[in-house]
Amino acid sequence: MRLITHNMLQCHAKGCDPSQSYPLELKEVQLESLDAEYSEDFIRRLIPKLDWNVLVHTAFALGVAELPKELPDVQDEAFLRKVHQVALETRVKEAQMVCNGCGHVYPIKDGVPNMLLQDNEV
Amino acid sequence: MQPNHLETTHVHEVYNLIADHFSATRYKPWPVVDSFLRELEKGSLGADVGCGNGKYLGVNKEVFTVGSDRSDKLIEIVQKRGFEAMVCDNLSLPYRDACFDFVISIAVIHHMSSPERRLEALKELLRITRTGGRILVFVWAFEQEGKRKYQEQDVFVPWKMPKKIYCPEGQPTKGSTPTEEGSQDIVYQRYYHLFVKGELDELITRTGMATIETSGYDRDNWYCVARKT
Repeated sequence: MRLITHNMLQCHAKGCDPSQSYPLELKEVQLESLDAEYSEDFIRRLIPKLDWNVLVHTAFALGVAELPKELPDVQDEAFLRKVHQVALETRVKEAQMVCNGCGHVYPIKDGVPNMLLQDNEV
Repeated sequence: MQPNHLETTHVHEVYNLIADHFSATRYKPWPVVDSFLRELEKGSLGADVGCGNGKYLGVNKEVFTVGSDRSDKLIEIVQKRGFEAMVCDNLSLPYRDACFDFVISIAVIHHMSSPERRLEALKELLRITRTGGRILVFVWAFEQEGKRKYQEQDVFVPWKMPKKIYCPEGQPTKGSTPTEEGSQDIVYQRYYHLFVKGELDELITRTGMATIETSGYDRDNWYCVARKT
């Protein structure tokens, strides 16, 4: 799972408090990096679609990169490449994704999140 | 929504059992899906819900698509191909509201076994699509032009796979349908709800969440492109 995908994931267990279900907290994380083709145009269009605060927080918490808390007015190449590296080239190989609302744990194994719920949670 | 026995036994379990063979037969993109994906704006974010072996995930390199499927065996294949993928259920998607520019659902909704479940699946697809974003849905048609003809809308469709490749001797054949002695195939039954003309459009309209832009018939399927309102 790349960090761009984490940016969209939320807990969907029945009865989970919607104000607490996003983002999912990553614990016991093993990261890996991969090469993704860089496209300035793509990254520029992508940024407004991300939850910026969550990306900044996640990148910092995982020790991947320090991104500016506020989106800079001038987005130069160094900045865009950093976002590219964080969102598209950083992959979570193993982790537990924990919901801060209901405590549900979603495992990530071999890079694949399993987001299925138990029968009594849907 | 609670799980449904028919879907568990005749959809989820079957796709896990046939994953390798299924994937080996699914490589050619359907033209309508192919052009929908190629015409997307650069930098679009999307979800392929029920992505199977991920054959649509690499069609347009200028968009980012997350694949998901209920079958972990199919998702294993998708992951090995280097695509972004996860295991989840269409009836309860793990994405925040309105986060995608587009969502595709190719040959998925017809595996849901009641009108309520099919409606709920479509509502989930639209929930995760942003206002103005589009969904593309394909389902099997009752009105088949090919050799298959059906008498009813709710049917079992056999999946046959060669025994000697996919089920070497000694392997269990749990869930398979008994075949005649000496048969070279192992057979599983998949549940389908075959859509009649107009049924998909009506169901999408009933969500109250989208307007239909195009709909049509292609290769034994009904399809629809709808815009989230």
